[in-house]
Amino acid sequence: MRIMCCLKPVPKPGSVKVDPETHTLKREESELVLNPYDRYALEAAVELAEKTNGKVVAVSMAPPNAKDILLEAFAFGADELVLLSDRAFAGADTLATSYTLACAAKKLGPFDLIVCGKVSVDGETAQVGPELAAWLGLPSVTWVKDIKPLNDSLELIRTREFGEEKIKAKPPLVITIEHEANVPRPPSIKRLLKQDEVEVKILSAGDIGAKEEYLGLNGSPTQVIDTFAPEYHGKREIISGPPEEVSERLLSILKERGLI
Amino acid sequence: MENYQGVAIFGEWTGREIHESTYELLSEGRRLADELKTHLIVLLPGPPEAKEAASELISYGADKVIATLDERLNDFRDDIYARIVAEKIEKYRPEIMLFPATSLGQALAPRVAGLLKLGLTAHCIAFEIRQEDRTLIQVRPSFGEQVMARIISRTRPQMATVRPGVFPHAKKIEGYQGEIEIFRPSEEAFKSSLEVIEKRPKPKTDVDITKAQVIVAGGLGLGSKEHFQKLFDLAELLDGAVGATRPVCHLGWISEDHMIGVSGVSVRPKLYLGFGISGSLHHTVGLQGVETLVAINIDEKAPLMKQADIAVQGDAREILPLLIKKLKKLKSQREND
Ligand SMILES: Cc1cc2nc3c(=O)[nH]c(=O)nc-3n(C[C@H](O)[C@H](O)[C@H](O)COP(=O)(O)OP(=O)(O)OC[C@H]3O[C@@H](n4cnc5c(N)ncnc54)[C@H](O)[C@@H]3O)c2cc1C
Ligand SMILES: Cc1cc2nc3c(=O)[nH]c(=O)nc-3n(C[C@H](O)[C@H](O)[C@H](O)COP(=O)(O)OP(=O)(O)OC[C@H]3O[C@@H](n4cnc5c(N)ncnc54)[C@H](O)[C@@H]3O)c2cc1C
Repeated sequence: MRIMCCLKPVPKPGSVKVDPETHTLKREESELVLNPYDRYALEAAVELAEKTNGKVVAVSMAPPNAKDILLEAFAFGADELVLLSDRAFAGADTLATSYTLACAAKKLGPFDLIVCGKVSVDGETAQVGPELAAWLGLPSVTWVKDIKPLNDSLELIRTREFGEEKIKAKPPLVITIEHEANVPRPPSIKRLLKQDEVEVKILSAGDIGAKEEYLGLNGSPTQVIDTFAPEYHGKREIISGPPEEVSERLLSILKERGLI
Repeated sequence: MENYQGVAIFGEWTGREIHESTYELLSEGRRLADELKTHLIVLLPGPPEAKEAASELISYGADKVIATLDERLNDFRDDIYARIVAEKIEKYRPEIMLFPATSLGQALAPRVAGLLKLGLTAHCIAFEIRQEDRTLIQVRPSFGEQVMARIISRTRPQMATVRPGVFPHAKKIEGYQGEIEIFRPSEEAFKSSLEVIEKRPKPKTDVDITKAQVIVAGGLGLGSKEHFQKLFDLAELLDGAVGATRPVCHLGWISEDHMIGVSGVSVRPKLYLGFGISGSLHHTVGLQGVETLVAINIDEKAPLMKQADIAVQGDAREILPLLIKKLKKLKSQREND
């Protein structure tokens, strides 16, 4: 199976910088790490490639400083590394992000399977996977926690509120991976030693044949108009003192209010 | 943009009934429709037995239910559902389209957005209307920090997914009049290479914390599983359930069914007591429906302490057993009276 795995570099917690004008992330200025959920996506892709004698192409849309994250992905088992990097991609919402990834999938494909993480820890929308599938006209299955290759299809377990579903799917398709899906392997020493020799292919908007009007901030229908810290009401009761006293006080307030 | 009118919501059929989140969308959808002086429609795809639900939805304030009833909609298949919803949107052209952020809604809404090339705002917790241009201002938490973002969409319909548990359940309106319209999608819409071959319900857990009237929740501040266990004693005394933060679940102090927040559930008890919980937005988005919020924390500056109705500053590991002791005493006094 030829598998594309989408990896999102996210700002390291605590190093997030937001552009005060566009309210988008200033990704070039943040220290980047791999989105934690994408470790499970990558592991799922690599395991499946091993079982089916396939290849994993890791793809990120990110500024040039995300190269190291793709090299990391190589150590975890990815075969080819592709960084989509172009000023025109900046400020993309999920629609523009998934369009860009879709153009890359067409350029680098055909793929039997496209694997995404369940959700990113910065934008946190969980929208990119299903939107990417729609752009490509492929079916999608989200929140997958188990994958079994059959002859000409895949057997997937999807998590739902009520439990889980077993789904038979014929490739090509797009899936998003749950963190319960697997235990990601440690980096391979052999691969770590080869990191200097591997190439991270850098592709621009032109290279993937993407149309300007669908890219970046301009191609993004959603706009963040402002951000604010949630305000809390003022009339709160504050209790402090020795544990005996505060417990007594708390219980008597709750009793007064008829709550216990 | 003028030819887009009305507020639409997605009606989720669970296989037996209409999902709780649909009633929450009905209440917020009705409010938005009234504010815009327009109608409220429900898009309902499902198997033929979902038909009764259609008239039920009208009695909760829907002006029109656009139903597609077909055996092939028995299972949720992302591609089929998305095409049907997209066809309905193209025909009925609502100015606003809301989906529940359930597992189904989160899979479906972005597919629809991708098909129609529309903006989609995720996991909203509040909406405002800007009257002059009928813009829907969509509020959502972001970056797991104490930050909310206001988002607008340049495309129509303005689409969002809505966090379950945030809006109240719609009230039944006796004699409300509305109509049911059957929508027949193209045959093309039913093509799929997905097949749901089995559904396995979760083993029933003893408590469903989303329905509890009292919740005692614990976080990392409790220090150990041993201290955390005491929450069960307190919950029993208060006839309540135990809730938890995500890190605590991941440490194995309690199962994930008890997790409150973005990755867990939303709760709406009369009383919530949070022991050693910092109050990250990831957790507190699940607390929107709490009536009286009590925080117990050694750090008076912890965000949950600022949000609390009653903020108790102190060591949760000491206060928890004391509360249990005192409540036991109180209970036996009451029984003797
Ligand atoms: C405050 C704020 C709020 C926002 N809210 C919204 C909103 O409501 N709607 C909206 O459309 N956009 C929103 N955005 C923009 C959105 O965060 C970005 O488009 C983001 O780059 C992609 O979305 P995500 O992080 O939510 O990814 P998700 O959809 O959560 O990511 C799921 C998976 O998609 C893949 N993936 C995602 N991005 C990339 C990438 N760049 N490269 C490779 N793989 C990737 C990964 O496999 C990832 O695990 C918001 C931005 C900000 C600053
Ligand atoms: C994508 C994503 C999704 C997430 N989803 C969720 C979710 O659904 N639910 C969730 O809860 N979290 C979620 N999280 C994690 C969330 O961001 C926080 O890390 C988490 O809620 C914090 O848990 P906590 O309050 O138990 O721990 P901490 O933040 O470590 O807080 C511990 C608190 O205990 C106090 N404390 C310490 N000792 C004592 C003592 N002896 N007595 C009293 N107080 C004490 C401290 O002052 C502190 O305020 C998510 C994170 C991400 C990135």
